[in-house]
Amino acid sequence: MKRFLNDVKKYWAYTKYSAKSGLKSEVASSRLSWLWWILDPLMFMMIYVFIAKVIGSSKLNYFEVFVFIGLSIWNFFNKTITDSVKIVSANSAIVSKVYIPKYMLILSTLMQYAFKMFISFSLVVIMMIVYRVPVTWNYLYFIPILLTLFLITFAISTIVAHLGVFIEDLKNVIQILLRLVFYLSGIFYSLESKLKLEPLLSYLLLKLNPSACLIQECRNVLLYNKGMDIKIVLAWFIVGLAFSALGIRTIYKYENSYVKVI
Amino acid sequence: MDNNYAIQVKDLCISYKCIQSFSIKKSLLQLKKSKVEVHEAVKNVSFNVKRGEIMGIIGKNGSGKSTMLRAIAGIFSADSGTIELESESVSLLSIGVGFQKKLTGRENIMLSGMLLGFSEQQVKEKMQEIIAFAEIGKFIDLPVKTYSSGMYSKLAFAITAILESDIMLIDEVLSVGDAKFKKKSYKKMKELISDSNRTVLIVSHSADTLKELCTSLLWLHEGELKMQGEPAEVLAAYEEFMS
Repeated sequence: MKRFLNDVKKYWAYTKYSAKSGLKSEVASSRLSWLWWILDPLMFMMIYVFIAKVIGSSKLNYFEVFVFIGLSIWNFFNKTITDSVKIVSANSAIVSKVYIPKYMLILSTLMQYAFKMFISFSLVVIMMIVYRVPVTWNYLYFIPILLTLFLITFAISTIVAHLGVFIEDLKNVIQILLRLVFYLSGIFYSLESKLKLEPLLSYLLLKLNPSACLIQECRNVLLYNKGMDIKIVLAWFIVGLAFSALGIRTIYKYENSYVKVI
Repeated sequence: MDNNYAIQVKDLCISYKCIQSFSIKKSLLQLKKSKVEVHEAVKNVSFNVKRGEIMGIIGKNGSGKSTMLRAIAGIFSADSGTIELESESVSLLSIGVGFQKKLTGRENIMLSGMLLGFSEQQVKEKMQEIIAFAEIGKFIDLPVKTYSSGMYSKLAFAITAILESDIMLIDEVLSVGDAKFKKKSYKKMKELISDSNRTVLIVSHSADTLKELCTSLLWLHEGELKMQGEPAEVLAAYEEFMS
């Protein structure tokens, strides 16, 4: 624990700088540059809204914003984890030349995607104003939800990053799993409204899947003037802490052997 | 720990084994277990290096020289044995350096510097000096992927040479670039190496260089320590052995 804090302090500047320059180089290399960070979720939102309208399953208020919040959070969650699987070999140039705690590489990726998520959330704010979503104190719950999201994403990322070093095709497996989680997370439909069909099953699907749970909480506090389910968010926060600790521990234990494999 | 020694290596063993990566597809398709190959790269090596000493390491290809340097730099873990360093400031200079190809030269200087344990401020102060030494002109603000291999190694060399560390590990890179830069970098390297506070380990195949620079020499043969002593003495034995 002490070592973790020391290392974070020592490498924080590096991590921040590397995240910043990563974003900068992305901007520099593509013509539409940062517009893509908004265009990407926006286009997908339109597709899902269109499909939902065709199937006729969207009876929700603020459905466009509903989908957009889901997509913004999902993109962050999905991309951070997918990138983490191969993060050690992707950074082999650095890893084989100098020592760096490997979770700092994850942290740097996480920061980049978090930044993109904030950009797309700025669009959420605009949409909320346009759709005249009422402003309430429940907005404050957004902060603990976001923290929990970061923690859970980091925890999963550290573990897949460790396994990804040793298992070559883990990326394929993770992508399939994440696709499953995507459909189960209710990005473009409301899991809650399906509660009536299979109460217990839907309830479990909603609460045992961190992305579904956090996306739903987020929509509740931002759009539907509801409070946060403190118990479940706290539970995920603790799970996130525990698994982050486990992941960091594992990485510390094995990281010096990573170079021998990649 | 004895104060005189900058590096103490004791009973160092490093092997590449079982931790080979596997793919799920492969392990499903071939039920037969593949044999775990153990390759011992370094076997029971012990030696000490005094502060300010310049130690050369020789040995034929694959005798574990680079592996040992990486272990001392903290990139590799030892399977058994210990490595003690008196200072945390260690840098490894080797062929092909750790740059992020999408980022510009300037950004890579910042990142490399920070990884070597310098603060943002310190690197910024040295930035001009590094850029001037590297002689790559306007390319410094272009992504590293656009560099020629010469520019690449010149920049890498400049970073390690200007951002000085207490312990330097040099893997075959004493000079880089064209004839002119080679001279300049070799001179700079000599200057760095001969600083009496700096401890240096050099891996090289060039007998002349080793004879000129080193105060002592270590001969590794197939992972084992074969001989250690005065450069002239060890080199004579090594040359006889190799011929």
